[in-house]
Amino acid sequence: MRNISRILTALGGTAVIAGLGSATIANAQDEKWDTAGFVENATFYRDGVGISKSRNTGQFEFSKDFGRKFGMNSFRVSGTLRATYDAVYDLNDDEFGKNAGGSRSFQNFGSTTAQAIYGGNGNSPWGQSILGNGGPPGAVPPGFLFDVSRNPNEGLKVLGEDMHDPMGGVTIGVPVRPCDKDSRGCGLKDYMDYDTNDLRFPEFNDHLDFIRELYVEGSVPTGDMSEWFFRVGKQQVVWGRTDLFRVLDVINPVDFSRHNIYDELEDIRIPQWIASAEYRWGATEIFEDLNLQAVWNFDEFRPNALGQGGTPYSILDAGSFFRAMNNCWENGCTVSNFVPAGAIGLDDPGLIAADFAPGVIGIRKVNLPDGHDQGGIKLEGVYKSVGFSLNYYHYYQQLPVLRGDIQSTNAFTGEVADWSHLIAFDIDFPEVDLFGGSLDFYLDSIKTVFRVEATYTQGEEFANTLEADLYSDSDVFRWVLGVDRNTFIPFLNKNRAFLISGQVFGQHLLDHEVEKAPLGDVGMPDWEDNYIMTLLVKGWYKSDTISPQVIVAYDYEAEAGTFAPSVDWLINDNWRLIVGFNIKFGDGMGDQEFDDCRTCNPFPPFTATPAHADPLQSGSVGLSGIQPLGRFRSGPLGSASEEDEFQVTLRYRF
Amino acid sequence: MIKRTTVSLALAFAMGSGAVATANADVVDNSFYPYKDGTPSADGLTVGMTINAANADQFKDILDPATYEQLKNGWWEMKVAETTSFDLYPGYVDATRASLGQVSLGDELGQINGFVAGRPFPEEPSADDPRAGEKLAWNYKYGYNWGDSAAIYPFYWKYRDLESGKVERTLKFNFHFLNYKHRVQHEPVPEFADNPSDLFRAIYVQVLEPFDVKNTQLLIHRSSDDQTADNTWLYLGFQRRVRRLSSGQITDSFLGADIMIEDFEGYNGRISDMNWSYKGTKNIMLPFFNHNDLELATDLEESDGYQFVDFGGKGGCFPNITWQLRKVYVLESDPIDENHPISKRTHYVDAQTFTLPRTLVYDRKGDLWKSWLIGQAHPDHHMEKNKGTGVAIDDAFSMLDIQAGHCTTGQFKGQVDPELNQVKIFTVQNMRAKGR
Repeated sequence: MRNISRILTALGGTAVIAGLGSATIANAQDEKWDTAGFVENATFYRDGVGISKSRNTGQFEFSKDFGRKFGMNSFRVSGTLRATYDAVYDLNDDEFGKNAGGSRSFQNFGSTTAQAIYGGNGNSPWGQSILGNGGPPGAVPPGFLFDVSRNPNEGLKVLGEDMHDPMGGVTIGVPVRPCDKDSRGCGLKDYMDYDTNDLRFPEFNDHLDFIRELYVEGSVPTGDMSEWFFRVGKQQVVWGRTDLFRVLDVINPVDFSRHNIYDELEDIRIPQWIASAEYRWGATEIFEDLNLQAVWNFDEFRPNALGQGGTPYSILDAGSFFRAMNNCWENGCTVSNFVPAGAIGLDDPGLIAADFAPGVIGIRKVNLPDGHDQGGIKLEGVYKSVGFSLNYYHYYQQLPVLRGDIQSTNAFTGEVADWSHLIAFDIDFPEVDLFGGSLDFYLDSIKTVFRVEATYTQGEEFANTLEADLYSDSDVFRWVLGVDRNTFIPFLNKNRAFLISGQVFGQHLLDHEVEKAPLGDVGMPDWEDNYIMTLLVKGWYKSDTISPQVIVAYDYEAEAGTFAPSVDWLINDNWRLIVGFNIKFGDGMGDQEFDDCRTCNPFPPFTATPAHADPLQSGSVGLSGIQPLGRFRSGPLGSASEEDEFQVTLRYRF
Repeated sequence: MIKRTTVSLALAFAMGSGAVATANADVVDNSFYPYKDGTPSADGLTVGMTINAANADQFKDILDPATYEQLKNGWWEMKVAETTSFDLYPGYVDATRASLGQVSLGDELGQINGFVAGRPFPEEPSADDPRAGEKLAWNYKYGYNWGDSAAIYPFYWKYRDLESGKVERTLKFNFHFLNYKHRVQHEPVPEFADNPSDLFRAIYVQVLEPFDVKNTQLLIHRSSDDQTADNTWLYLGFQRRVRRLSSGQITDSFLGADIMIEDFEGYNGRISDMNWSYKGTKNIMLPFFNHNDLELATDLEESDGYQFVDFGGKGGCFPNITWQLRKVYVLESDPIDENHPISKRTHYVDAQTFTLPRTLVYDRKGDLWKSWLIGQAHPDHHMEKNKGTGVAIDDAFSMLDIQAGHCTTGQFKGQVDPELNQVKIFTVQNMRAKGR
């Protein structure tokens, strides 16, 4: 540790002297670098899957106050380095590595023809659909053919197969091996295109994510109480007062691929290069505390990391969907139950799978914003013992939206055009303006702390099958009410209170659209109003060295929840062991269906159904399935319904 | 303040009684200099002797019950030193003199009238006064405990098993204290101008080690209105977020220690949270000593050569210090909140300094639960910067959970230094800035 401290002192001194000129270590406030860190193994076992995580992490933090420098008080340099090796891609490569997936067949629901051709359950192999390579040679339009030799039936899963049966709905083949083992579906540049080593060592990338934080800061006094405060560098800027889910805390994107929503936000916020300036009035005649913060995120835009197809934590299973769709676009793909057999002249009441040629359906590319122009302001303070903030932030939506306004090939005619209601997309991240505020206050009469946040956003975009481009924007109102109370439960612990913390999150889409169509609902799959409840009960025993806790989260509309009991044991100042379960309950993804656009009639009149009043008019008549849009109704809890896990984490701190 | 002094003197003359003025002077002198005419004594007690299991019975009358039991059990031995005067800062004494006779209790518990600065009720408590305990509590609250401001910088806590002596955890803190009002020594005197919520005092705590609680910060704002609840915030380093605390957490173990936030400094709550009872005046042994005369610990390094008080005895739960026979007021406080985890505290209030060096804590059944010791070091025999400050320096603590066989010990580097306690650090925003 002393060697490290010497190295840091040299580095810090060098950096300060070389970069900024006049610094001297002699009058530094801290004589030594403040250093700390840990090494950790987190091994999770998933029911039916085996090891889902064997993450080995080393983290090192350092900080030093150089005292008065450059006209600032307490000029400080701080940093956090983190390196991770997730061995799951080696230990369980049948599920998440080079041997994951396999050959797959696709459902032809109720098709007597398919039953006759393929036997068994009537499923047709990848690339051998009746409307496709498996059809009569020469009779199938080129738009329904793809080269199986370039896009073979191996290393695949059926979209959603870990969560539900197709149940007559559409599914797509998903390549699930790392992109260096199977490049299919990895064509979205710098987005969900990770090789094995990228997945094993997620911090070692072009963004230098092993530098989790590195910033300088200092303050300039302007009075006894007031000062300017500046911080510049790679950092996390935390707004808001909520746990687990975010309402105001939107400045840094989040890496959900690490462990869905369940890791501390501290560990999964993706640090960005940010400059912040605060003017702190301190106490004034009116406010007990008041400050104004301006934040400029001058880093390149990074979206939330959602995990890619074939990785253990792919929130909403979006990564699988995107990879499958990118493969459709680039190499073609098989889609189950896509066409009524009768539509191609078969005397067959069932649905049949279809093979799509490249460039017909799918995801073409991702458009990552290149502006370095995210920023906002926050006025925060305390007034009559009530903490408050008023916030504004301009940013890019951190969750992707699929925009259907791209040029693609008519599978029947070969004509290239921007076809309405066709499931051919680019991924975009629209600009969003967020207006928000927060409060916290304590009611002594009931010994309870209340936390409130609310935001109103403009510019967010959502899937919408009513629209020709299959998306639309909506203003969104979000709020959260949090309640914290420390309560003695004498029969469990007569000397130490339990923390009981509950939160209710609400979301209302002001421009929500859903209409009844002949075969089902059409419009936005996201709920117009939804609520997620969380409850934490945490206790402490043996001088806080043993801390059991239970976290429960429940999605009201998805009717899905998580029950996560765990015990945290501080063995001593160095060793810590956490053992827990993460159990899902309620409905899974298979219980949520929505318009899947099979009946969107994108290539009229060829794709019109009897339910289309005008066969020349595109638009959905509402035939629904679980995939692909049911995930938006299942939410992060329901879409992970099959991810019950036993989790062990051992950490050594130094 | 000069004006008030003038008025007081004028009133004295107007009453035409020099005897009254003398009496008033005596009240203040007796309160602040109880040993000016001699130090207390006890049969058989001599400076330099040791009280231990063999002779504890002989000195039972000058030991609090928990200390007696510990010595009788042979858990540690008490070294007896000379009783010395811990003179408080003259400005505080002058402020007391200036306000003498002008301070009174309000109709309700937690109300006080006419208080400006100094010791509100320097008069000897009377057993006939049903509110004598409350007055002692006010004297403690507005005591010169850490002066106008001070820091414990740093502050080590060790969690120990009484039986095995195993040190289970070591926490390193910085503690900061600041009085917004009733100040007598450092500018601004007597109070800060911008104080919109009329705060009396603030405490700011920052955890430096170990890693799992590093960057945890605690901020307590105490209103001048004793009937207003404290505002308390906690910054959790692993969440990077300030959380407001409910009062339930004030009476709960702080970071797993045997101490609750309400225990800080002996009692860290509102007058109006307790019923106060004066139980008498006596002379007992208290942990008052000269830091620089002790055999100090060598295991915690400070670059300036400062050494902390060492611990020994059973489980390492007892400070290796010297004790003095001193005048105390026995003060009981029992919580008004029926859900409070304790039934009462018995404070042995040092009559000269109004610090709380010994407090016994009883559980809800009325059984002795914890023995709370805060050793007081003379400022003139401590760090150079503390000399002449007139602050009895909290220098070592031991909170012994007798029922659990466990203790938390504290080793202080107390510094009476306004530079370490600038008013801007006692803000919620500072917690966010200090955090990462």
